[in-house]
Amino acid sequence: MSAFHKLIARVRTALERPVESAPPHHEAGGMAPPHAEAARRAELASAFAREFAAVRGEFLGIHAPEEIPAKVVELARSLNALAVAVGAGVTLDFEPIGRALEAARMAVVRTNAKKRDDAPPLRERIAQADLGVVEADAAIASTGTLAVVGTPASPASLTLTPPANLIIFHADRVHADLAAAIAALGPEPFVKNRVAMITGPSRTADIEKMIVLGVHGPRRLFAIAAWPR
Amino acid sequence: MSAGPSSSGFLESSRRGVADADLRRKLENATGRHLEHVAATRAEFPAFDSERDAARRIKEDAIGRLDELLVELKNKLEANGATVFVAADAGEARDYIVNVVKRAGAKQVVKGKSMTTEEIELNPALERAGVEVVETDLGEYIVQLRGERPSHIITPAIHLSKEDIGRLFADKLGIPYTAEPETLTDAARKRLREIFLSAGVGVTGVNFAIAETGTLALIENEGNGRLSSTLPDTFIAVMGIEKVIPKLSDLPHFLEILARTGTGQKLTTYVNFISGPRGRHDADGPRAMHVVILDNGRSAMLADPVLREALYCLRCGACLNVCPVYRRIGGHAYNSTYPGPIGSIVSPNLFGSAAAELPFASTLCGACRDICPVRIDIPRILLHLRWRESVAQPAIKWPKAAVKARASVVRFARMARFPRTLRLLTRLAAPVLRPFARDGYMRRMPGVAGNWTRWGRDFPALRARRKTRQKPAEHS
Repeated sequence: MSAFHKLIARVRTALERPVESAPPHHEAGGMAPPHAEAARRAELASAFAREFAAVRGEFLGIHAPEEIPAKVVELARSLNALAVAVGAGVTLDFEPIGRALEAARMAVVRTNAKKRDDAPPLRERIAQADLGVVEADAAIASTGTLAVVGTPASPASLTLTPPANLIIFHADRVHADLAAAIAALGPEPFVKNRVAMITGPSRTADIEKMIVLGVHGPRRLFAIAAWPR
Repeated sequence: MSAGPSSSGFLESSRRGVADADLRRKLENATGRHLEHVAATRAEFPAFDSERDAARRIKEDAIGRLDELLVELKNKLEANGATVFVAADAGEARDYIVNVVKRAGAKQVVKGKSMTTEEIELNPALERAGVEVVETDLGEYIVQLRGERPSHIITPAIHLSKEDIGRLFADKLGIPYTAEPETLTDAARKRLREIFLSAGVGVTGVNFAIAETGTLALIENEGNGRLSSTLPDTFIAVMGIEKVIPKLSDLPHFLEILARTGTGQKLTTYVNFISGPRGRHDADGPRAMHVVILDNGRSAMLADPVLREALYCLRCGACLNVCPVYRRIGGHAYNSTYPGPIGSIVSPNLFGSAAAELPFASTLCGACRDICPVRIDIPRILLHLRWRESVAQPAIKWPKAAVKARASVVRFARMARFPRTLRLLTRLAAPVLRPFARDGYMRRMPGVAGNWTRWGRDFPALRARRKTRQKPAEHS
């Protein structure tokens, strides 16, 4: 937070005005020195992790892109997964993830593979998978939310029908709040694709207001932040 | 089951609700828990009130130029590949949807939670056409299995305990009896997932329709709205005309306040954005998307400058939980799709004279106005509707006692215009009534005035002399 923002925050507190949690992403500008930029990024990622845990999401830490395939294999093993459905990355290459899973003798449902004539439709194979893996286009620190854009290479089913879901996001794409995230995404994905903002695993409180997870969507939701070295 | 109130009368059904001690315990439990969550999430979000004001301003603007926005929304949705149908009333909407389902050749329809489809009585219409309709929101599924209507906008099965639901599932789904919410939820998940994968048509409501992009926003926690709008080949969204907002950048202001008030969450689990059917290369999503934009009495509300404000409602359900009347009688007593304070405003305007007495079902305490995320002045609108009812040809068949009581109030009002006469009468009446008073209060009043005390209210004893005004005690 710059000195100016701190001053404004103090003045706002004095005036008993609502305090803005952090300056919006896009206003930070490109002038910040690299270490300040990294500090801000770390702050947002840790705020995200806290909120994500509060909605019963399971945050698996910040990792360099080349470490992620091993992390995915580790997760899939811990879930005793037999089949994993893997979408396409947004900023990351997801091909190494698929290869690592296959090397660990798990079946991989690839969304970009050419369909064999005798194979059931893709959405049915995704529904049969034990884990779905996608990359989010944006993350929101204030609510622990992941915004996922459904595309032909990353269909909406990946975050919907398997019982567990891993969403990877780039640490550069964490925004302070909803307004900043929607502004950063811009209108195009909303018009052209289906966007889902996901905050924790599927839940219900319809029986005596008691929370039960996994009523229709995934029962467990994992997240990994990717931070290139 | 009918969406509009039956004429059996609110008084009768509310008496049944009050007498049901078990129901009251369940309601107190659930609404109390909700209010605790709401208070906690609001307390940690200092911008809550400024976001409320922002959201309110957007609604004022949007409802004020609804004509332009609806045109823009329709054009954008059509450009995105959706088919838009504008329904003037419930019948038109039903007919259109039944037709789409028939043309799609679907035998099964899955439904996400939608009060608007309850309003138009869609399920019975589809069933008459030989289509099986499955509600997929857990609470809606439960009340559908019981053959009931939801008793709350957000928590449809709020009137049932986990034991009630355990017995229901044992009876209807053939699973061993349990009152464990996890096991019950899991049983519903398995049953409903099969249906999701085979149903030909999905139907949901809409929380916000963004005119700028032609995008529908669906807000939910369970994921059944996402499934209903993603897996079936045909998707139908049903929305009231008031759901439209101008821009994508307006939406965050609503998202910041809606879940915080509706469920006490910062944000619901899913916010789904749908603008059109699937693209040529997509693996999922509907091949055809229909948007039904429903008027059904809303434009008449728009024409009334006082009532217009009720169209800002986000259907968060908080005013139900906070209402002392709702908390004692439950949603079914209102005999309407929309119960509680906001329901008492909306129902008479959507369902006509059968709901005419609902605006009187309020103590006007103002708790609803205070909790409303867009600050709708519900008591003011209720008073307006009471006034409208009293000057119009009254549609309500009041009990005789109420008619008499009203007449005596009118007589009193006339008398009150002559304070000296009133004082003289009071002085004369005081010694006559004194034998009935105890501790300065009358437990029972004679004659028509007995209507005041009959329901357990006391009346201050009349005094022969004017009460000398006391100085207020000093507070330490």
